[in-house]
Formats: sequence, C-alpha cells, structure tokens
Amino acid sequence: MNKKKSSIFSGMLGNNIVLSSLMVVSPVIICGDTLKNAAALVYAFSAITFLSVMISSFVPTKLSYTVKIIIYAIISSFVYIPVKLAAQEFFPGAVERIGIYFPLLAVNSLIIFRSEAELYKLPKDHMIVKLIFYILGFDAVMIATGFVRELFAYGTINGRIVDVNTPVIGLAQPFGGFIFLGLFCGLYRCIRSAVINKKEDIRSDADVSCK
Amino acid sequence: MTKTARKERFIWLDIMITLVALELMSCFYYGMRSAVLGGICIVVSLITEMICLRLMSRRFTADDLTCTSDALIIALIMPATMDYKIVAIACIFAVVAAKNVFGGRKNIIFSPAAAAYIFVLTSWEKMLLLYPEPHAKTGIFDEPEGLVNSVSYVYNTTGKMNHTDFELLMGNFSGPAGSVSILMLLIAAVMLILRKDISAGAFMGTIIGTAFLSYIVPASPTAKIGYNFVTNMVIFAAVYIISDRRIAPKRQYYAFFYGLFIAVFSYVIVITTGKENAIVIVSVLFTPVSLGIKNLEKKIDLARSEASEYATVNISTDAKYDDESEIVEKMEDISHE
Amino acid sequence: MFLVNDLIALLATNLILTQALGTSTLFIAAGSRKNLVGTAFMITIFTFAGSVSAYLADKLLPEKYSDFKLLIYVISISMLYVIILSALYFISRNNFENSRKYIHLSVFNCAVMGTLLTVSGRASENTSILKYMAAGLEAGTGFIISALILTAAYRKLNSANVPAAFRGFPAMMIYLGIISMAVYSLI
Repeated sequence: MNKKKSSIFSGMLGNNIVLSSLMVVSPVIICGDTLKNAAALVYAFSAITFLSVMISSFVPTKLSYTVKIIIYAIISSFVYIPVKLAAQEFFPGAVERIGIYFPLLAVNSLIIFRSEAELYKLPKDHMIVKLIFYILGFDAVMIATGFVRELFAYGTINGRIVDVNTPVIGLAQPFGGFIFLGLFCGLYRCIRSAVINKKEDIRSDADVSCK
Repeated sequence: MTKTARKERFIWLDIMITLVALELMSCFYYGMRSAVLGGICIVVSLITEMICLRLMSRRFTADDLTCTSDALIIALIMPATMDYKIVAIACIFAVVAAKNVFGGRKNIIFSPAAAAYIFVLTSWEKMLLLYPEPHAKTGIFDEPEGLVNSVSYVYNTTGKMNHTDFELLMGNFSGPAGSVSILMLLIAAVMLILRKDISAGAFMGTIIGTAFLSYIVPASPTAKIGYNFVTNMVIFAAVYIISDRRIAPKRQYYAFFYGLFIAVFSYVIVITTGKENAIVIVSVLFTPVSLGIKNLEKKIDLARSEASEYATVNISTDAKYDDESEIVEKMEDISHE
Repeated sequence: MFLVNDLIALLATNLILTQALGTSTLFIAAGSRKNLVGTAFMITIFTFAGSVSAYLADKLLPEKYSDFKLLIYVISISMLYVIILSALYFISRNNFENSRKYIHLSVFNCAVMGTLLTVSGRASENTSILKYMAAGLEAGTGFIISALILTAAYRKLNSANVPAAFRGFPAMMIYLGIISMAVYSLI
C-alpha cells in the first residue's frame, strides 16, 4: 500500500518528468532563462496538461492506439486556445517571449504518450493525484531553472538586480540550458540515489548511484 | 605501475615543461600577472579535480595531475590581463563540465582547455579578445589599461600585418599570453613529436592543411603563408589541442586527415567571417568526428584480432587456407559485420 | 569553400543544437543505429510533408483565426500519420510491425511540430511553397546531423567510466550543450 502511495506521489521528486524521464525538456532549455518566462510556462503547462488529460480521460479505451493519440493531440490543441487567450491577459508579453514553445506545450509527451501508457490505466482519483504531482514536478524544475539561470546569467531575481558581479551570460543561451539541465539532472539522480539508499525499503538502483 | 600509466605521467611531464617555457615567455612580455594567472588556473583546477575525484570515490593519483597541464593551456590562451575570477570559472567549467562529468581522464571526450575557451568566448567575448601590448606590464592587482585588438583580428579584417618576421617569431605582438611565442612553440612541437607525446599525424595534417589553403586562397595579395600560422592560435592549437593524444585518432593516417579537415574548416571560417581563433572552436566541433574515427579504429582492431584468431584456429585444425587472399576476405567479412 | 559554409549554416540552423527541438526523441533514437535511421527518416518525412500542409494552412487560414493554426497543424500531421501507417500496412505487413514504432515516435514531437511552427513564424506573405519544403527538409537533415553527432559519442557517454549519476541522458545533454556552445560561438 505504501509503495502504491509513494508511486502516486513520485511524479514530483522520485520520478520527475523532466529530470528522470527527460520529457518536455525543450521549453526548459530555451525559455527557462528567467523567472518571468518560467512562471508563464508553469501556468501554460499546468493549465494545458491538466485540462487536456482530464478531458482526454473520457476517450473510450477500446479505440485503437493511433486514433486515441490523434484525439488526445486534437483535444490539447483545442485547450491551448483559451489558455493562450488567458495568458495574454494575465502574463502580458509572455506569449511573444516564449514564442513557439507555448503551442508546443500542447503536444507534450505527458499528454500524448505518458497519459496513455500510464495515467489512464489508473483509477480516476489516483490518476488525478498522479497527474497533479507530475505537473508540480515540471513546475518545480522550471522555477528552479529559471531562478538559477536568471541569477547567474543576468544577475537579477525576477527582474530585480542583485549583487552578482560576474554574470555568466552564456547560461541564458540554449547551450547554457543544455549544460545546466544536464548538471541538474545528474545532481537530482545523485540525491535520489542517496535518499533511496537511506530508506532501504526501496530497491536500490545501481544506475542512479553517485559512485 | 604499468607501462601505460608510466607513459601517461611522462607525457604530462613533457607537456608541462613546454608549457612552463611558454609561461616564462609570457612573463617576459606581460610581467608577473601572467604567472599569477597561470598559478590561479593550476590551483583552481587541482582543487576542483580533487573534489570531483572525491565525489566519484576515486583516489587522486599522479596521473590526475594532467589537469594542471590543461589549466596552464587555459591560462596561455587567455589575455595576460584576464580577470582572475573568469579564469577560475573557466577552469572549474573545464574540470567539471568538460572532463569529470564524462568520467575524467579515463574517458576524455573534449579538450578541457578548448571547451573552457569557448565557454569564456560565449560569455565574456570582449574581455577575452582584448589584449595588452607586449612589455606593457600590468600589476598583479591593477586594472588593465590600454588594451588593443590582437594582431589576428587586424590580419583577419584587413589582411595586413604590421610586424616584422622577427617580431612574429619572437612573439613580440599582441595576442593570447602564450600562443604568440612562435619560436618556442615550434621547439615545443618538435620536442613533443619526437618524444611521441602528441599526435604527429594530427599536427602535420593541421600544418599542411593551413599551408595548402593559404597558398591556394591567400587572405590578401600581400599576405605571406606564414602569417596564417602565427595568427589565430594555429600553431598553439595544433600542438596542444588538436594533437592531444587523448582526443586525436590513434592511427597517424586518420589523425592526419582529422587535423587536415580542422585546418581547412577553420581557415575557411577565418577567410569568410574573420572569426578570431576559429581553430579552437572547430576543434571542439570536430570532436564527434574524432570519436567516430576512434570507433572505427576499434572495430578494425577487433576485426583483425578476430580474423587472426579465426585463422590460427583453422590452421591448427589442419583447415589451412590455400593463400592469403582468403584470410583477407575473412577479415573483410568480419569487419563488414 | 561553399560546402564548408553550407555545413556551418546547417549547423547554425540546426533544430536541436540551437532550439532544443526534439531532444528527447533524439536521445531515444540514438540508442541503436537501427532506431536512429528509422526515426531520422520518419522525422524527415513528417517535417517535409508537414511543411507543405503548413504552407496551405498559412495561406488559407484568415489572420483572425490564427489561434487555430496549431489545431490545423495537428490535424494535418494526424492525416499524414494515418496515411503513412496505412500505406506501410498495405505495402508490407511484415515490415509494418517493425517500422510502426518509428512512426509513433516521430509524430507529435517537438521536432516535427516545432519545425512547422518555426517555418510558419519565419515566413512572409511572399514565401513560396518551395521555401517551406526546403525548411522542412533542412529540419530533417538537422535532426540527422544531431543524431550522428550523438551516436559518435554514444558509447563513451554510456561507458562505465562515466559517474553513474551522469551516465546516459545527463552526459548526453552536457555533450550536446558543449557542441551547441561551439556552434553558437561561430555564429
């Protein structure tokens, strides 16, 4: 029972969709350079993914895989429209700044593939909790990435200047995103491995150990 | 201690001797600040390497001192007046992100120094590409003044060279701290090639490629072929980055073409865009090519050893081949597989 | 000389190295040579044929309905998805089982959808269908180049020498980051 519970909540830390499964990495790499962008992406991803997966969960499971995938993509493309209109109200300028990565969130792997492979097989209440934790996992990574990259690349936090006297401008570029996310991913695996070893009740995974 | 391990240490020692000689030349032209810069690089790299090895639960051995030669290379490709913090960050980047993340010295993918140079170039381009004049010595804690563009920049953009051949040979022109001492670099190249510390094939490929293109497509009607060697860190990169035995293909034949293509690409980039020190950037871009060639070399070695084993077994069981052509065919079959 | 410049231009517009589009797909595809060839081929088909549908959507869809652009692209890619799967099924049922995974992997990912959105964003009223098609083909070629870059280092990035925490994806990400950094510094 405990294992089952922990697997439902694991979407945020233990099985983070960005750091563990490397899903939805493009927006994190390209747009996760400031907290403002990160906040806009968090809103867009959370809204589009939650609504799309919830609506898509009513699609009959008897349909063939290809048809289901297409229906999920079409539903999320519909959901994208009101989410975008709301973003223009609440995050002025964010849609332009994020550019193509905003609509790309509508066809992210969590909606199209992971939901079909994992979420829709669960009871509805479990599915919702798991989905929320997956979304929170993405949000946490996005905010952390936006915060660190903005601080070290521009010497600001949410646009306010702080005392960083040698800003690393390259960190705000796509390659900076790649390198930062790679290091972040390694650090995450290291911590996860340490936690797993400490708990001892969860099977140790050699692949994620630091040694 | 195995023969290879001993060899690795001797290679490091030879390279360090040549780098220290270049550092001394740099001190002569730019003063003690250059030596302090080198010292900071070495100390930061050494400490970072030790921390990384500790985190990977590995012991620090004499072979791990190779990080100090990479550190000195980083110091020598920067201006002598470079901000200490920036070189320290560059060294940390080289040791952590370009080396130890991939497994350290046992699994080198990029030249740490080249990766660090590009890292600095992308974040602090203006500071990196402005140099002090020779003999204009900046104090250890002084703010640099009177910085100028490098001779490479002037040559790339105008095709003109305002220095005598003797000045060029002695390194008496503005540029990166250690990569302008051409005479010293040539001596270092000969010494390192003779002692088999660097890949002779890659070095020759780079030199021949640059010479060939300089002759076919000169930068300007008055430009001498030699100018293309002394500018844009061509010789320095050819010795310490492209010919690095950890990176270059093992077989001299492949290494030659590896060096040749880097030279051709970087020359074309310099001619068409005027990009300063393009050879260092191209050497990083050619890393996948080098890795691809190394994979090919491994497959060939494997195919050869399998074929020779196959032949030995068959000969010993009296299933002898009529002629060598059959063995060759077998080898080819295996290598195709 | 022109060839070198073209190669650099191709790297400079590479969808993975400069826009990080299709990174996850690339990591999956680089696992084996067969996967790599299959996925790269399918992505090239989707970006190429998809760019034609993007051209039609851009020309026919009135400006005030531009919010529906994504939906139109998704429908076009879905139709292409069904057509390719059906064609493969009727041509060779034996190959269908082996090849369909590449089609599933290549459809609706950032590489394909991102290419259509990028091409559409860069296009003006006078942009011809040939330019759309060329951009689609360029994106596919860019994916292949990135895949080759990653495949060359695949064994080293997954070797036992790499610390376990960084083995695989994190090391691949940093490797691509350094290559991307070199490309960026050339532009």
